[in-house]
Amino acid sequence: MADAAEPYAKPLPTITDENRPFWEATRRGELRMQTCGACGHVRYPIAPVCPKCLSDEAEWTRLSGRGTVFSYVVFHQVYHPAFKNDAPYNVAMVQLEEGPRLFSNIVGVANADVSVGDPVEAVFDAVTDEVAIPRFRLARGR
Amino acid sequence: MSLRNKTAIAGVGASRQGTIPGSTSLSLAIEAFKDALDDCGLEKGEIDGLLTMPGTTSPEGSLNYLRLGEALGIDPRYTGSMTMGGGTAGALVQMAAMAIDAGMATTVACVFGDAAKSGGYRFNRAAGWTDSWGIWGMFAAAGNSAVSASRHMALYGTESRHLAEVAVACRRHASLNPNAVMRTPITIEEHQSSRFIVEPFRLLDCCLISDGGVCIIVTSAERARDLRQKPVLIAGMGQGYTTQNLGNEDWWYVPHQKSACEAAYAMAGVGPEDVDVAQLYDNFSMSVLLWLEHAGFCGRGEAGPFVEGGRIQIDGDLPVNTAGGNLSESYMEGWLHIVEGTRQLRGGCGERQVAGAETCLVTGRGMTLNCSNAMILQAS
Repeated sequence: MADAAEPYAKPLPTITDENRPFWEATRRGELRMQTCGACGHVRYPIAPVCPKCLSDEAEWTRLSGRGTVFSYVVFHQVYHPAFKNDAPYNVAMVQLEEGPRLFSNIVGVANADVSVGDPVEAVFDAVTDEVAIPRFRLARGR
Repeated sequence: MSLRNKTAIAGVGASRQGTIPGSTSLSLAIEAFKDALDDCGLEKGEIDGLLTMPGTTSPEGSLNYLRLGEALGIDPRYTGSMTMGGGTAGALVQMAAMAIDAGMATTVACVFGDAAKSGGYRFNRAAGWTDSWGIWGMFAAAGNSAVSASRHMALYGTESRHLAEVAVACRRHASLNPNAVMRTPITIEEHQSSRFIVEPFRLLDCCLISDGGVCIIVTSAERARDLRQKPVLIAGMGQGYTTQNLGNEDWWYVPHQKSACEAAYAMAGVGPEDVDVAQLYDNFSMSVLLWLEHAGFCGRGEAGPFVEGGRIQIDGDLPVNTAGGNLSESYMEGWLHIVEGTRQLRGGCGERQVAGAETCLVTGRGMTLNCSNAMILQAS
């Protein structure tokens, strides 16, 4: 979580017209992605057209936030100075139940206690007043 | 229609490798170009095609062909630059072969130089387009390849000591190569005790960062016969790509490598059983395991056990990366893999020569998991 005493120094999204709906949703505690208005494909990363059918009609639909750990790594090397105090920290590729995959972090658990295939659910980490980063925790009752 | 054996690698050259104080991407490319001319006996005026890969430290970026061409004082009939990271060398050599066959040029120099060690480099950046993966701390080529290794381990039981087999083989081969940067042999135990970089990768799973330049001169098979060296024929070529890092469910498994290998085999009329020696792109140890599966030396998920017991070492069933590879020779983003393939098929690699090598598979992969290519080279 953001430390009020120190400004958040890790990379933040640059909010544009293209990604604003994603980041406005996460600030409300919702995971939303673009669903194609023509073929129904849910896409990520954010893109101007559907990569399946090239339609530019899309709606930002709310996703369940549920998924599984598709792959999982632990960074020991510090590639960005703001992560120095976090290392070793994890990065997971999460497979969402609606189809898309994204990179994120598994929080609330020791790095060694996460495995590929674990069910996870989204949580939202308000690192600044403007930005809440979607992360994941191990799903309850798994 | 096939390009099988129509073109040949006539000359190969390399600059000094490793840490070269005062070098620039341009000076290293020039050093390699001159070395390749010496190798094949051509004059620079006979080079009528120039294809280049900008170094990560080349300030001119994709205008590299202009910068290098001006420095070399040549006005080619055919030129350009391409940036596909470790997928570039093979793609440019294949482009050279196509250009020669199409009559666009007769003799093409493919050139790369990068002062990556001394001049700063970009391999640790975060990927992502609209939103950088750095938001989640996902940085560096090591991150992407670790995602690949982690899932392979989870699905197939591949272990870190299998990765160690790759690192140990590359280092042993480098110890037999006077031009290699890292020449002190290592053991599996030393690999296992090296520090984590991005888990599951340890330090000894990762390629070097190097200053250096490489040049490969391609011409028609017919013309190559009149030059100084025994021609090495380009018997088969193939490429494969994915642009969909998150959108392709198999991105981590790089299935396009299989397409590239199969195309190269088909053009050459050979299969994995015909390969005497292989130069497999190794940005990280894991990549060699993926190539072994996709090139058909073993089945999906079987590469870990396949490499056990020194099987890919110089005296094993399938010698791989006989000069030391990106892991131990020098990180020339796969360019030296083509040079080593050429030298093995000419013969005369000394202690690291694979006896009777006639067919070599050379592969490249760039942008960590996106751009793949394969070539079958054959002795003439």
